[in-house]
Amino acid sequence: MRRVNISGVAGDSLARQLIAHLILLLGAIFLLSPIILVVMSSSHTTLTLQQVGLQWGLGDHALQNYSAILNFEAGFTDQVTPLRMLANSLIVAIGVATLTTVLSLLTAYSIVFFRMKLAGLIFWLVLITLLFPLESRFVTSFQVTSTLGLINSHAGIILPTLAAALGTFFFRQFYLELSEELMEAATLDGAGPVRFLKDIILPLSVPRAGAIFVIAFMIGWNQYLWPLMISTDDSLYTLVRGIRLVGQESGPGMALIVITIFPPFMLLLIFQRWFFRTLSING
Amino acid sequence: MANVELTNVRKTYPNGAEAVCGVDMQIEDGELIVFVGPSGCGKSTLLRMVAGLEKITSGDIKIDEQLINDVTPADRDVAMVFQNYALYPHMTVRGNMSYGLKNRGIDKASINKKVEEAAAMLRISDFLDRQPNQLSGGQRQRVAMGRAIVREPKVFLFDEPLSNLDAKLRVQMRIEIKRLQRKMKVTSVYVTHDQTEAMTLADRLAVINDGRVEQMGAPMELYNNPATLFVASFIGSPQINLLPVRFDGQHLISGDIKFIWDAKLPTDTDLMLGIRPDDLFQKDDGPLSLRVDLVEQHGADNLTYGGLLGADETDGHETEFCFKSGQDLLPDIDSQLNLGFDPTRALVFEKSSGDRLV
Repeated sequence: MRRVNISGVAGDSLARQLIAHLILLLGAIFLLSPIILVVMSSSHTTLTLQQVGLQWGLGDHALQNYSAILNFEAGFTDQVTPLRMLANSLIVAIGVATLTTVLSLLTAYSIVFFRMKLAGLIFWLVLITLLFPLESRFVTSFQVTSTLGLINSHAGIILPTLAAALGTFFFRQFYLELSEELMEAATLDGAGPVRFLKDIILPLSVPRAGAIFVIAFMIGWNQYLWPLMISTDDSLYTLVRGIRLVGQESGPGMALIVITIFPPFMLLLIFQRWFFRTLSING
Repeated sequence: MANVELTNVRKTYPNGAEAVCGVDMQIEDGELIVFVGPSGCGKSTLLRMVAGLEKITSGDIKIDEQLINDVTPADRDVAMVFQNYALYPHMTVRGNMSYGLKNRGIDKASINKKVEEAAAMLRISDFLDRQPNQLSGGQRQRVAMGRAIVREPKVFLFDEPLSNLDAKLRVQMRIEIKRLQRKMKVTSVYVTHDQTEAMTLADRLAVINDGRVEQMGAPMELYNNPATLFVASFIGSPQINLLPVRFDGQHLISGDIKFIWDAKLPTDTDLMLGIRPDDLFQKDDGPLSLRVDLVEQHGADNLTYGGLLGADETDGHETEFCFKSGQDLLPDIDSQLNLGFDPTRALVFEKSSGDRLV
């Protein structure tokens, strides 16, 4: 991977270097401050948060807040526990991530490598879904989901989010960069479409698939409105919905936000090498 | 080992464009045939049709007397070397070379043996565990060849395999390919747009133009005896000099240039006189005089370029001639150089049809 070193260009003056670093620093502060604010606030009492507002400094109520949230129970029969919510969030996020990755990979594979007559049309149809986020088709999606009998199920939360063109688009761009001769060479080497997919395309797609997986995981993880609509059953609460239940401006609520941020953050750390390589110019 | 037979092979695209229009060809066992022609002439399409990567619209292709029109590429027992090598980027050299054998269910031990033999032959044994991106262009080229060799196919197909290499390496690999092919005696078809490559590699070469075989034969036969104007101007480097002329019964005339011509020629049509740069010689009272524009010194030879004085310029173009001489002749720019030629070595074509008359 080649990196452009902003401050390392020959003849770069000290002033320019300082300005470059200043801009980066401001960006970092801008992006990090909300997270710091939440982490800090999670160590204060609900009273402080509601009367004084969010806190920048460290408080002394952290232990109480976190133990309160870990022992939190709600719902008719106390089905809403942190562990339950975590499990739901994981099922939804991993489901969305896995299915999005697999589906978009296969779609892009077939669009690029098989000269189907309608490949172009299909691709644009897929791409158009970018213009219709789930929120814009709530009512229809609800009707479809309900007809399928998927209300109050994990599948009902997962399936409608899968119609996302992003992954297909990413994989397609990548496959277009691969030379057409690669498939022809494989054909002459006796590999049919399935073997070519398994032996050549999948191994080459791993970094990109990792990146798509992380992005889709976040989309699944951060869902709020759709799960709210489609699940009335308390046992399907996800962490993100739980924040609302616990109370956004309460100490335990802040603690829950911190806990909610944690899993995607870990995932990003694990996949970051692939993630950034994929998003960088060289792919 | 096999012969290849093409009978009236055609390729017409759905939009009506004809890429290959009726090619007949007989390739003997162990022969190295080169398809040469300008880009877009259909030579690659023809090769890909033999490989099975391109469907044929009509006609027959036989390998070893067996009709293979509807046989899948994998079952045709051909191996191909691609222009961009098309190596599998994530596999090692060994992986690349063994993949085709693995898919054919050959046991590991014999795969290893074949791969190592081929690697030794191509001098890439030290790189077997590297990935393509750790290799130089020339090494990748060898791997691509190795991948074809291990398969021990009936026919080798080369699609401009050297065009991504630098000039020096290209010459080196050209010699190596020729040697390998001689040694292995595998029937080979080689596509190139480079006439030097074509001349030096081919047992026989087929000059292809507009989806048709203009002429097919041994390189020197095509050089000395081109059937058409196209072949004459495509084969030979530097290019053959062409002078538009007419015949008046005794003389060939072009503008103010006029010289006696013995052979019989039609008098009612525009002709083209072709003289190779090496068939010209300096002669003070020669019929041609050149206004020197440029002298290229190639070492042993000098190439002198310039406009031909007095030539017919009715089409608005000055007739440019090239004259090949030894390194001693170094005329001044803008000086005049009188040249003669041996009429028995000159070629005459009918201008409209391009057919060779003399």
